[in-house]
Amino acid sequence: MKVPAALLIIAVIAVPTASGVSAQMQDPEIGVDAPGFTLPDTYGNDHSLSDYSGMWVVLEWLNYGCPFVQKHYGSGSMQELQSDYGGKGVVWLSVVSSAPGSQGYYEPDEMNTVSREQGNRAAAVLLDPEGTVGKAFGAKTTPQMYVINPDGVLLYNGAIDNMPTTRLSDIDGATNYLVLALEEAMAGREVSQPTTQPYGCSVKYK
Amino acid sequence: MNSWKNTEISRRHVLFLKRLQAVRPNLTLLAVVLSLAAFSIPHSIGAQEENESSPHSTARLISEVSSIQPGTPFTVAVHFELDPGWHNYWENAGDSGLPTTIEWTLPEGFEAGEIQWPVPGRIVAYPLVDYGYSDEVSLLVEITPPVDLATGVDVTLGAFVDWLICETVCLPAYAELSLDIPVASGAPESDPQWVDVFRETRNRLPTDVDGWSVDAGLTDSGYRLSIEPSGERVSLPDSVYFYASGSSVLDHAAPQRAVVEDGRLTLDLESSAYAVQPVPVLRGVLLAEESGSWDAEGVFPGLEIEVPVAGAPAIQEPGSEATTDVSGPVGTSQGFTLVLALVFAFFGGILLNLMPCVFPILSLKILGAASHGGENRARIRNQGLVFASGVILAFLVLGGLLIVLRAGGAQLGWGFQLQAPTFVAFMAALFFAIGLNLMGVFEVGAALTRLGGRPGEPSGYGESLASGVLATVIATPCTAPFMGAALGFALTRSVPETLLIFGFLGVGMALPYLVLSLAPGLLERLPRPGPWMESLRQALAFPMFATVIWLVWVFGQQTGVGGASYLLSALLLVTAAGWMVGRWQRTDLRSGVVARVVSLGVLAGAALLVVQGSGQEAPLMAVEEGWLPFSQEEVERTLAQGRPVFVDFTAAWCLTCQVNERIVLSTETVLEAFRERNVALFKADWTRQDPAITAALEALDRSGVPVYALYRGSPGASPHLLPAILTEQIVLRTLDDVLSP
Repeated sequence: MKVPAALLIIAVIAVPTASGVSAQMQDPEIGVDAPGFTLPDTYGNDHSLSDYSGMWVVLEWLNYGCPFVQKHYGSGSMQELQSDYGGKGVVWLSVVSSAPGSQGYYEPDEMNTVSREQGNRAAAVLLDPEGTVGKAFGAKTTPQMYVINPDGVLLYNGAIDNMPTTRLSDIDGATNYLVLALEEAMAGREVSQPTTQPYGCSVKYK
Repeated sequence: MNSWKNTEISRRHVLFLKRLQAVRPNLTLLAVVLSLAAFSIPHSIGAQEENESSPHSTARLISEVSSIQPGTPFTVAVHFELDPGWHNYWENAGDSGLPTTIEWTLPEGFEAGEIQWPVPGRIVAYPLVDYGYSDEVSLLVEITPPVDLATGVDVTLGAFVDWLICETVCLPAYAELSLDIPVASGAPESDPQWVDVFRETRNRLPTDVDGWSVDAGLTDSGYRLSIEPSGERVSLPDSVYFYASGSSVLDHAAPQRAVVEDGRLTLDLESSAYAVQPVPVLRGVLLAEESGSWDAEGVFPGLEIEVPVAGAPAIQEPGSEATTDVSGPVGTSQGFTLVLALVFAFFGGILLNLMPCVFPILSLKILGAASHGGENRARIRNQGLVFASGVILAFLVLGGLLIVLRAGGAQLGWGFQLQAPTFVAFMAALFFAIGLNLMGVFEVGAALTRLGGRPGEPSGYGESLASGVLATVIATPCTAPFMGAALGFALTRSVPETLLIFGFLGVGMALPYLVLSLAPGLLERLPRPGPWMESLRQALAFPMFATVIWLVWVFGQQTGVGGASYLLSALLLVTAAGWMVGRWQRTDLRSGVVARVVSLGVLAGAALLVVQGSGQEAPLMAVEEGWLPFSQEEVERTLAQGRPVFVDFTAAWCLTCQVNERIVLSTETVLEAFRERNVALFKADWTRQDPAITAALEALDRSGVPVYALYRGSPGASPHLLPAILTEQIVLRTLDDVLSP
């Protein structure tokens, strides 16, 4: 078990540096290992997916400037999910793939300020200005959500809920696909909708 | 001059504030975010006063005609002007973005059609691809005014338009538009101001072309669309692009490879990563990109495509996206293997012996055997075997009959017999007659008596076979309510498997009697025959009469009180006939014969009454409060509104359904749980034959009731099926699981 994990870390570190600029957009497969990654958070600490082996992981693609994201932060529902599932031992990572100069990009300190103002309760906000991790996960929109099980297997990729709007009033009564996937998966059942069409603003890739 | 008027709405501030209020918990936060967003937007040309609600774009409502005529449809449009570099979206926005929506506020009797979307363009922000419009676009909608509209006055059409406007950043936009238009008695005339806009927009609408051969099939990675135009003037365009209507059908960014060969164009399309299974029908627009048109005259650029995909699995919801059913619904036939089905059928068969309609017959049959237990063991054993064959044979015939009827296209499921009021009425009469017979009102020398195995009288093999068949026929009304789901499953299998399952049901039902006849030692343990047997025989008439009550109730559900009265009168005649036969049975031969002839006449009268009663129509069943009558369209419409749906597939003759409804579905706890989650409740009543409900059941892979389906509130949501036997807990847990949070 240890050796493949070490290899994975090497691969993860090697891939982004080696593949460089023209990283291809890829749609990861459900039911197989999620793409590995290592990204710094806003305090300069590196986070690797393999660090969280044995834990449930949620990835949330984030752009504070996007009205669809604002819907979920403005209503407080995103923060609620972050603290609810954080309390259940789920590692919630917000990932920002906005390129420098584009909407949603902030320098680490600024990002901390905005995150504080927004009340973000994620375990960490990861910075992916090159967009390599975003493209490896096929992240197309903000918000777009992923669920990874303790074995590192991707179980959900898609929208946060079934109401593709910017209206705050649409939060109530929407079916939250992320919650559905997490609840099903954590109860040991099969995820009934493992992929849904993500909605929102495009990820502002380089 | 221009009779129309485009009213700019000054209530926008109010609306904006209303929106903000909806966000109360985090108002300041939103303000911060909005100001942040505002700073990140390069302020381009001429920021106008209304920009707070519709930034970088203006929308107005325009009409093609300057006056309208009652009953004559006319076309209006929401016309957008977008700042350079900004765009809004097509019905499928692509990888990101949001389709524009229009909510109409129309005078009474007016009806608005669907949005007619002009062909979009691709907005590429590598690696993402969106579908939408830039610069200027009109979304056309046909409005139909009522026929009885008063002329000589103005009417006001209102539209609340909601769209997303994006450059690299996106901003939500909305406008409340209105348009005043006069009503005249003459034919509508086109408004010169907008005639060009409408003409140009129409040229950009997808065109449905007859006579072209369009096919679609599956490939390893997606779909292959193939088109062969007919007619001579057609030149196949050099470069084409297919815009799929559904959002998770195709990979929007994937290249589409087109090949033209022998006058046929083939296009390879890559499936969306978010598609769970292929769509059964490919819908969208095929755009001729470079040549700009599909025909030599340059008339139409976009070809409307709606083509079934060969080899794609069927999906119940027409037009839904590919994200349907992969879930393992609760307690469905999935994983219900043949072996398991046979085991169920076998034990179900044994259980049938305890049903009120079968128990008396079978127990009397056993007692009959017991009473001459000592006589001839070989004969008893053989009779047991013959009786069992009769039962199994009858089940096979019934199963085969059902298969044949279904193959003939009849929309029937198990329990179908009970959908025919005539059948129900004759069963009621038969049970009633058996009850009278058990009571001793009359005796008949034929199978009916032997069926009850009158103590002390040995019976022939033919009679044993007949009583086996009759016992099965009598058991069918009981199999329907109790075995509906299992037999429904049986009908979805291949013919030999179906017959095998029906056969096992027969084996199970015949088993107790068979065991007793094969091991007569057991019979000897029964109490010695005596007068108590006569008492028991009479007592067993009561379950028969109870069954009659149930059948009369079912009949009443189908035909109303009027129909039920006919049936009860028929039962009176049956009593009269039975009495006459019984009264003069043991007198001299001539009176006996006369009594029988007369009673036959009376029975014919009873039959006539039954037929008359069956023809009665039940008054439209009052649907209980909170429940809506089922229709597939209504369910889909409700789901499209984001409201969860629960469908109760039921029938008056289905006992399990009735029990579930009374002790579970109508309890305050359950109703409250439904209300809390805003679940729309639909009742699909299958008491009488209803092809729409049968089709809906088949779509769920069922052919009998009860079936309970719960849908999450999203368009095209997949059903979660609940088990056939409900408890409050099951319902509440399923609601939690499926509809959480």
